[in-house]
Amino acid sequence: MSTSETQYLEGKASEDYKHGFYTDIDAETAPDGLTEDVVRYIAHRKDEPEWLLEWRLKAFRHARDRIDGGETIDWAHLDYEAPKFDEISYFSAPKETASYDSIDEVPDEILETFERLGIPLEEQKALTGVAVDAVMDSVSVATTFKEKLKEKGVIFKSFGEAAKEHPEIVREYMGTVVPYTDNLYAAINSAVFSDGSFVYVPEGVTCPMELSTYFRINEAGTGQFERTLIVAEPGAYVSYLEGCTAPMRKENQLHAAVVELVAHEDAEIKYSTIQNWYPGDPDTGEGGVYNLVTKRGLCKGDNSKISWTQLETGSAVTQKYPSVILAGDDSVGEFYSVAFTKGHQQADTGTKMQHIGKNTKSTIISKGISADVADNSYRGQVKVSKNADNARNFSQCDSMLLGPDCGAHTYPYIESNNPSAQIEHEATTSKVGEDQMFYCHQRGLGEEEALKLIVNGFCQEVLQELPMEFAVEAKELLDIELEGSVG
Amino acid sequence: MTTTLDTDVRPEDRFISAFEVNHGQALNGTNASIAQQREDAIERFAQLGIPTNDLEAWKYTNIAKTIDRPYTLPLAPEGPSLDPSDVAPFTIDEMDAHRVVLVNGRVDASLSDIGDLPSGVVLSSLAQAGEEHPSLVEEHYGQYADFENEALTALNTAFVQDGAFVYVPSGTVVEKPIFFLHVTAGPESLFLQPRHLFVVEDGAIAKIVETQHSLTDAQTFTNTVSEAFVGERANLKHYLVQDEGPHASQVHTRAGQQKDDSVYSTNTITFSGDVVRNNATVEVNGSFCESNLYGLCIGKGEMHVDNHTQMNHVQPDCNSNELYKHVLNDESTAVFNGKVLVTRGSQRIDAYQQNDTIVLTTDANIYTKPELEIYADDVVCSHGATTGQVDEEGVFYLRSRGLSERRAHILMLQAFTDEVLSEYKIAPLRSYITDKIRRRFGSYFE
Amino acid sequence: MALLEIENLHVGVEDEDIRILNGVDLTLDTGALHAIMGPNGSGKSTLASVLAGREEYEVLEGSIRYDGEDLLELEPEERAEAGVFLAFQYPVELPGVSMTNFLKEAVNSVREARGQEELSSTEFLQQMRERADMLGLDADLTKRSVNEGFSGGEKKRNEIFQLAMLEPRLAILDETDSGLDIDALQSVANGVNKLRDGSRGFLVITHYERILQYIVPDRIHVMMDGQIARSGDKDLAETLEEHGYEWIREEVAAAA
Repeated sequence: MSTSETQYLEGKASEDYKHGFYTDIDAETAPDGLTEDVVRYIAHRKDEPEWLLEWRLKAFRHARDRIDGGETIDWAHLDYEAPKFDEISYFSAPKETASYDSIDEVPDEILETFERLGIPLEEQKALTGVAVDAVMDSVSVATTFKEKLKEKGVIFKSFGEAAKEHPEIVREYMGTVVPYTDNLYAAINSAVFSDGSFVYVPEGVTCPMELSTYFRINEAGTGQFERTLIVAEPGAYVSYLEGCTAPMRKENQLHAAVVELVAHEDAEIKYSTIQNWYPGDPDTGEGGVYNLVTKRGLCKGDNSKISWTQLETGSAVTQKYPSVILAGDDSVGEFYSVAFTKGHQQADTGTKMQHIGKNTKSTIISKGISADVADNSYRGQVKVSKNADNARNFSQCDSMLLGPDCGAHTYPYIESNNPSAQIEHEATTSKVGEDQMFYCHQRGLGEEEALKLIVNGFCQEVLQELPMEFAVEAKELLDIELEGSVG
Repeated sequence: MTTTLDTDVRPEDRFISAFEVNHGQALNGTNASIAQQREDAIERFAQLGIPTNDLEAWKYTNIAKTIDRPYTLPLAPEGPSLDPSDVAPFTIDEMDAHRVVLVNGRVDASLSDIGDLPSGVVLSSLAQAGEEHPSLVEEHYGQYADFENEALTALNTAFVQDGAFVYVPSGTVVEKPIFFLHVTAGPESLFLQPRHLFVVEDGAIAKIVETQHSLTDAQTFTNTVSEAFVGERANLKHYLVQDEGPHASQVHTRAGQQKDDSVYSTNTITFSGDVVRNNATVEVNGSFCESNLYGLCIGKGEMHVDNHTQMNHVQPDCNSNELYKHVLNDESTAVFNGKVLVTRGSQRIDAYQQNDTIVLTTDANIYTKPELEIYADDVVCSHGATTGQVDEEGVFYLRSRGLSERRAHILMLQAFTDEVLSEYKIAPLRSYITDKIRRRFGSYFE
Repeated sequence: MALLEIENLHVGVEDEDIRILNGVDLTLDTGALHAIMGPNGSGKSTLASVLAGREEYEVLEGSIRYDGEDLLELEPEERAEAGVFLAFQYPVELPGVSMTNFLKEAVNSVREARGQEELSSTEFLQQMRERADMLGLDADLTKRSVNEGFSGGEKKRNEIFQLAMLEPRLAILDETDSGLDIDALQSVANGVNKLRDGSRGFLVITHYERILQYIVPDRIHVMMDGQIARSGDKDLAETLEEHGYEWIREEVAAAA
């Protein structure tokens, strides 16, 4: 273990709990189905400005047309029944009623997992849906945290608050990277999004800490149609962490978030995700989350950089392609991904790198691991526009199969309209080598230990891109996922 | 007799009504199994419709637009009568081969030079084979090309009249290449649908060479379906050279089926064409097989070439190699979409796929989509794709050794294509192709 | 009691009708170093693989006792935990797995099995530094992924380094000298000599007499056709260097 890792672990133990933002709204639910009334109801409930309602309504009409037109998404390598859009409740205010009255009622195996991941007790309660009063105690911690950001002029708020308090910024950017016409799920999200995060980093400011959404997860119901917008002004830097390693309880099966990132000249945004939602019954796959997310970053200014890193281990169905539009000259896009599927999980994930500016560079490193009867697909597009002189892309997509009944697939799309582009794509599919296992055994490692070590090594290129506080948890999470996967 | 397609209606309906008018008349008289499949095929074609860009497999090639032109369907046997001098430029005389010339998809005996064949080997038109060897045709015809899911294969199957037929019986070696020279001729905008069937039985060895040329400036479309059966321990090498000029479009669908311990190699070179789509599917239905799919596209003008390959590993212990290269000049576009499928239980597959492209001009485009779809865990599968320019380091090195910049570029491009050409095991054919490529590259730097 | 006792060992390849070892007898005491020589295909490396527990080999007859226990009963990792170490002829690459992580897992697995406390990170790192220094190993090597991108010489030296870290009681070196230049060979031999402290036994499998100039064996065994055809002291190596193996074959044939 490197010194920095050791330091991190020591720091972690003494770390304060950093939660905040608990928005209290009376528990109520909108009627099922996607209707104009529901959209108006949501806007009203959230006391939103008129312009935002107008925008929602435009998105609604578009979504409605697409649903009524019978649109289906069948190009992905996924097999699941499409959500019935008129049977979904699009707004459910956070519930005060807890799933468990006290932590003692939470099943032991869940608590053990938390223990191993090193998740503090307060967070454990929040994540398992234990009555959340205790979480409110940490408001004071969150306040100090917010003040630090305020000093630097960084705005970090819930999307709803930001729309009211900073309408000029929100209006300027919302929907510019992911227009509501982009795809059906983006349209639905734009019409009925519940809440989400907003980050604004002013010119020349390096955000003093990793921003994390940890502290809003106590609202079990709001996660369904999240919307995140991050704007980095010229020369700004921000690292944003989404999700957490803990197995998340989700009430809603359909999760369709939209994330938009805008990086101006010389700015850099690093967005890291760990997704570990309920994958459904391991034997039947029933009841798991459908994670259908649209994430896109715009490298608007010259020399800007956007980097996506993700570890996807949860959900029954995951379909997401965090992308970068490289509009500014010399801009850089990166995508680092580990997707682990087991049981009946299915993942179709990858990225889109769209080279528009000159001298733009993109890197794609994708590692897929598949076990049991799971299906894991990489789907990525590299597109070089006519004027994108000297574009460079390197893609490496490796798949590892654990067991004879799973599937691993690679679907890269390479489209080049400029002769100076240099694009390299490599992909491999293989199982863990018997000679590798034997070598580890000879050094005293058992079946599971050896497998963990080799799989962690396989993912190393991606895991090292995660911020330190995530990376250690991520490794531990992979280890937990691998337990019982030894074929 | 010809049928002009009515352009006032949907392209699908043009073909369906042409079928209704002609079936039982022009569209019979062949083998019973051929006639049988027509009805099912036209029905399936009507259901599937002509593929559009919405279909993942046709994302980068707008074939519907190319088919939606005023073509004429030639449904009678009499074609234009050509003089040997018309085809003389294409005969590759250095290659000692069993030569069959097909004009507009029909065998022209007067232009052919079959020579002596080993005993039992059949080399004829499909129509003739249907009459003389009905059981052979019945056993293999329509068994490998999938008209249930491919609209254009269904269309071909509905209208099939003639094409090439090869039968190499068990244990027989055909030393000399079997050479099919395809020529399109005549003043009309023809829509041709030749159908070929190559049967190489257990332990047999054969080499098939096909070249395609055009003698007309009219806009033509050729929808070819070609089926190959490679028996146990058999070895079939199949070379295709496409050079029909800027007015000829085509969809060339090739479906091969392999049995245990066999080797099947295909190699497709495209020199010219308008819109060219090549589908190559290999079903490896046996163990310990080797399959090789190679291709080269030398793009010029506005040509659009789409190579679509599907390598289906449905049995264990096989290996496959796939290598496609493009050199794109002018406003040419190349598409490569290769898929390697390893089905559940097909263990110990070693599959390799590579697509490399050199783009020479700002107006040329490359779309590449190499895919792996793997359902077995004990496999080694990999693919790679690169696009870029001529390696300028290499050019500089050659120039520093005294070569002109032009020579250096030509040499670098030739080196790039050599990996595919080295698969051409027939020396005279290889030098014929190398020479064509050298002249083409030379013209780029004048 | 001997550290290792091999008696009448017959070994074939699993599921195939091939016999590689045809009755090997060998006894090794703690503190001793024996060399096993022999031409290609004589079964030297197979013996090493069987000792480490490779599954593709099948023991058809005979026994191997390690420290008085039946070694063949143990899984590969149990053998490692019991102190059997194999320096691989072709060390395996483990992409992305850092040497530090790998060795820490391995050392602690072995320690745990021996009833020793796990090493703390600090202790472990310190031990790693010491052993690397002792063997004159570039500390950079420990920062890389296991064997990934290592040169042949680096891989072999890394095996000796792991030997030093895991402190086995029986060390088997499977052609650790092959493919090495003279500097790397000396470095490997040097490492082995430092670890030859009387507390463990060594089996050095080699094709060439060269390494035995640096590592002086207590005994040399010559393997031919899956049997030990002749044993002798260190001088036997020189005779083999001068006269090759054929004379032994002839002698054996004459005796038979």
